Amino acid sequence: MVTDLPADLPRPGRWRALAGGLAEELCNLFVFARSSPGFLFGLVVVVVTLFLALFGPLVAPYNPERALPGSGLLPPSLAHPMGTDVSGIDIFSRVISAPRVDLTIALVSTAIAFVGGVVLGVISGFFAGSRGFWRIASEGIMRAADVFQAFPVFVFALALVGFRGPGVSNVIIALAFLNIPFFLRVTRGAVLQVRERPFAEAARCVGNSELRVAFVHVMPNALTPALANISPGIGFSILLTSGLSFVGAGVPKPTPEWGSMIAIGAPNMMTGQWWTALFPGLALGITVLGYALVGDGLRYYLDPTKRR
Amino acid sequence: MRFLKYSAKRLALVVPQLLAVSIIVFFLVRLLPGDPAFLIAGQFATKERIADVRAQLGLDKPLYEQYLIYMRNVLHGDFGTSWRSSKPVVKDIAQRLPGTIELVVLSALLSILIGVPIGVLSAVRGKGLANKALFVYGMLAGSIPDFWLGLIFIFVFFSLLQWLPGPIGQLDPTVETPPTVTGMIVVDAALARDWEAFRSAVLHLALPVATLTVVYMSLIIKNVRSTVEEMIKSEFVEHARALGLSPLTRLRYALQNSLPPVVTVVGILVWFLLGGAVLVETVFAWGGLGQYAVEAVVNSDYAPLQAFVLLAAVFTMLVFLLVDLAYFMVDPRIRG
Repeated sequence: MVTDLPADLPRPGRWRALAGGLAEELCNLFVFARSSPGFLFGLVVVVVTLFLALFGPLVAPYNPERALPGSGLLPPSLAHPMGTDVSGIDIFSRVISAPRVDLTIALVSTAIAFVGGVVLGVISGFFAGSRGFWRIASEGIMRAADVFQAFPVFVFALALVGFRGPGVSNVIIALAFLNIPFFLRVTRGAVLQVRERPFAEAARCVGNSELRVAFVHVMPNALTPALANISPGIGFSILLTSGLSFVGAGVPKPTPEWGSMIAIGAPNMMTGQWWTALFPGLALGITVLGYALVGDGLRYYLDPTKRR
Repeated sequence: MRFLKYSAKRLALVVPQLLAVSIIVFFLVRLLPGDPAFLIAGQFATKERIADVRAQLGLDKPLYEQYLIYMRNVLHGDFGTSWRSSKPVVKDIAQRLPGTIELVVLSALLSILIGVPIGVLSAVRGKGLANKALFVYGMLAGSIPDFWLGLIFIFVFFSLLQWLPGPIGQLDPTVETPPTVTGMIVVDAALARDWEAFRSAVLHLALPVATLTVVYMSLIIKNVRSTVEEMIKSEFVEHARALGLSPLTRLRYALQNSLPPVVTVVGILVWFLLGGAVLVETVFAWGGLGQYAVEAVVNSDYAPLQAFVLLAAVFTMLVFLLVDLAYFMVDPRIRG
């Protein structure tokens, strides 16, 4: 057990933070955010989109799926800050309702990819260069990741959803699958380093099984890169979801979703009604940017050697 | 000699990769909910046609035999029939591939021609306002959806300024298509000295290529910048400085050694461009392979989709192969 080890051995730092120092950690994070405007901007985006995912349709001034008779393609005004689309639905209401489906898809698929990627990454990293079954598993995982990544991401997403049929759950499955290699690679890299540290050897010496060393001792200390990858992973998933919906292979209309809103507005961009596609695209871009910035910030924050 | 040895090794790696890719693509059909024969034959197929397709796909045979049949067909250039155009998929693809190649190659070339000098400059110049702007551009380019940027371009340059043609494909409908040689209209027009068609083709290329370049050039800039920066700080450049070599010579050393990693990014660039092309083609009604794939998805036309995925993966693999070989050739330490 961990408790049998000498006290000066490094403990899984993140677990301790969760148990005792959560408040302190948050405090540190806040201080860090103040010194990094990009990170702060990203945090705001994350909080706002999470809020909108929960309450967006409730705070929307109009029903995001119902057309207002006789008000198609109205330019932005006080009544409709982002105008209306071709069928007369308030674009602002749709823009702030979209995070519900976009974020749900992104969060669920990234969570699945995180778990899958970390488990596979630990196996492939910890047992790299070992013998027997685990070596085959380790090699097999990497070769499989190589082959799946030979497919351009969007092409593969399109194919998966194309064969399974459009719809939220199929998009989630496809994105989770496509995101696994990214988490897998960063975790493997970290595990390759952590497994060489003395505490891993010590854990082995006191009689832990290899699997236990891998998942109980090494994994918690190799989670940082994967954790830092969650936020950009969410942004990436949102981008892919909107692309799929844009071509009609993702979230079916009329569900408010940024990509499908851009698709609805596309013909109007040629005739000069710029607001139809501009605003959903801006919302989408800002969201993806925000999540990427949070990821960048966290990478710095979680790496004490880089922190000021 | 070493190069040959390396090439042989690298080429040998391609075979299992291609096999694995083909197996994955083969299994895509198995993802279909329900009876693949029914779905592939199309919604309006008769019972006989479904039975036909079933026999053609060999769905009654064991799995490995089905795979062998699939591979035999693919190697004979038989990718099945599109139920929508009721033409062999291979014919459709041959017709649409050049348009996509045109788009991807031009965007890649532009990204490299503009991105590499910018990346080198920003690495050499260090900090400053231009570098901040580059950083912001890099962040934005990574977050902006390419299809949306295309639409914004259409609004600004077609709808508002009327400088460039709208999203109606590769050529003006009033302009006669030049005789097909390569299938790439720009090239064909130039070959036929049909300057009216050439002009029209270039104008139609402008916006989709600009869209892809603006979004994906940031990959090149970021990578060139960080590589060159690292090389400038490296020990061998420091050594050259201690020897009293001029700054220009030191930069040449740094650039020479930056080349291999940068060449690798070109592979990644093409990998991204292929995905981006699917969306951008849809925006501009380009009529290339990407749009073909999207139409296939929307119409549940599975044979073309399967063929497209296979082609995309094989194409990427070939690009990565070339990149790896080029890596070997440009690395001063291995070149010998």
